[in-house]
Amino acid sequence: MKKVLVVDDSLSVARQLEKIISESGDFTCVGHAKNGAEAIKMNHTEDPEIICMDMNMPGMDGLTALRTLSVMDKDVKVVMVTSLGGVGDKFTEALKLGAKNVISKPFEADNVLRILREL
Amino acid sequence: MAVKFFGQFLVERGVVSSEALLNAINLQDKNNLKLGEMAVTMGLISQADIQRAHNAQMSKDMKLGDLLVELGFLTLVQLNDVITRQKNTHLYIGEALIQVGALTAEELQKHLDAFKADQAEYVSNGIELPIASVNNKIWEMTADLTYKMVTRVLDLKFRAGKCTLGSTIPPNFMLAAMDLSGDVEARYLISVSEGLQKSIAKAILSEESVDNEPIEVLEDTVMEFVNVVCGNVAAKASQMGVIMNINPPVSIHPSEHGLPVPDGHTGLCFPIHIEDGDTMEMMLLIKN
Repeated sequence: MKKVLVVDDSLSVARQLEKIISESGDFTCVGHAKNGAEAIKMNHTEDPEIICMDMNMPGMDGLTALRTLSVMDKDVKVVMVTSLGGVGDKFTEALKLGAKNVISKPFEADNVLRILREL
Repeated sequence: MAVKFFGQFLVERGVVSSEALLNAINLQDKNNLKLGEMAVTMGLISQADIQRAHNAQMSKDMKLGDLLVELGFLTLVQLNDVITRQKNTHLYIGEALIQVGALTAEELQKHLDAFKADQAEYVSNGIELPIASVNNKIWEMTADLTYKMVTRVLDLKFRAGKCTLGSTIPPNFMLAAMDLSGDVEARYLISVSEGLQKSIAKAILSEESVDNEPIEVLEDTVMEFVNVVCGNVAAKASQMGVIMNINPPVSIHPSEHGLPVPDGHTGLCFPIHIEDGDTMEMMLLIKN
């Protein structure tokens, strides 16, 4: 099973994503980071294959963390999960920084799993 | 299920790759010249003229085109010619995707139809505001999108009350707030009762009962609802040419007297009467 790290300051979103991931049968959730700085640390300790990361978080935001992760770890695949997905500039910046896809909130479980399976 | 732009819709559905979309965006960037660049390409002004107009923009809050006319670098007729040329040569993302070989014309039309159907529920309906502001369209859209998210995300039946001006934010069980910045400055708030907080938590967590959930999780679900609404409002605003940044949401517990609207702000209240008799309120504190 592929290891997934969830990064979101919202407890409820983390709960939703962890449930979707753990019930999929294809993925296992290795942890929950609450901001970009924690994500970078947990990427080192948990070695996930996929990171599902919010953009708008207190402390280090998702795009800043993505910039660092894309330099530090060429193997990890990052998918942004954000309410800002429909903002063209944010979406394009995420792809340019190396995000594999951008999922808009509110999200549907089927859509999240389809995108994770296509990575 | 959210406000999207066409390129995102295609990537999210796996119709085109993110690499193909970035190629198409790069092609757009090369083709779709800014007003000053277009005027230079048409031989009407020089790069030095643009630089002088940009310098003048530091002290004057005017669009580049209007400044180029005021400074005598362009006539009004020439400015209109430049704008017309910009419109006539604009490369849309769908056309750019065809040019980079990611889509055929037939596929484009099919996916455009699917995109319009997907986004139809986010087309704004008319809402009357008791103020006259240059940003009224943005605030009307904000209220409209909030109503649509109450239906789509929370699955609550409601009736929207009349928007009123307010000097106080009425007391309630909790408030979740998010600051909006950029071209507009405001604070967006949602006020809920204890019962509505649980209804929101059930919808966000997809749980039938939330009686055993810790209070921080219950509060977080209301903040997440505000985050989802404001993120989608920012997306819609960007489609309207307005830059709107959002900050992480916060929770507020007002005193029994409520909270005063801060000086220098206009308070707009939008009551949302829920079917079971409960009321939530959406408020905007708009910086004057």
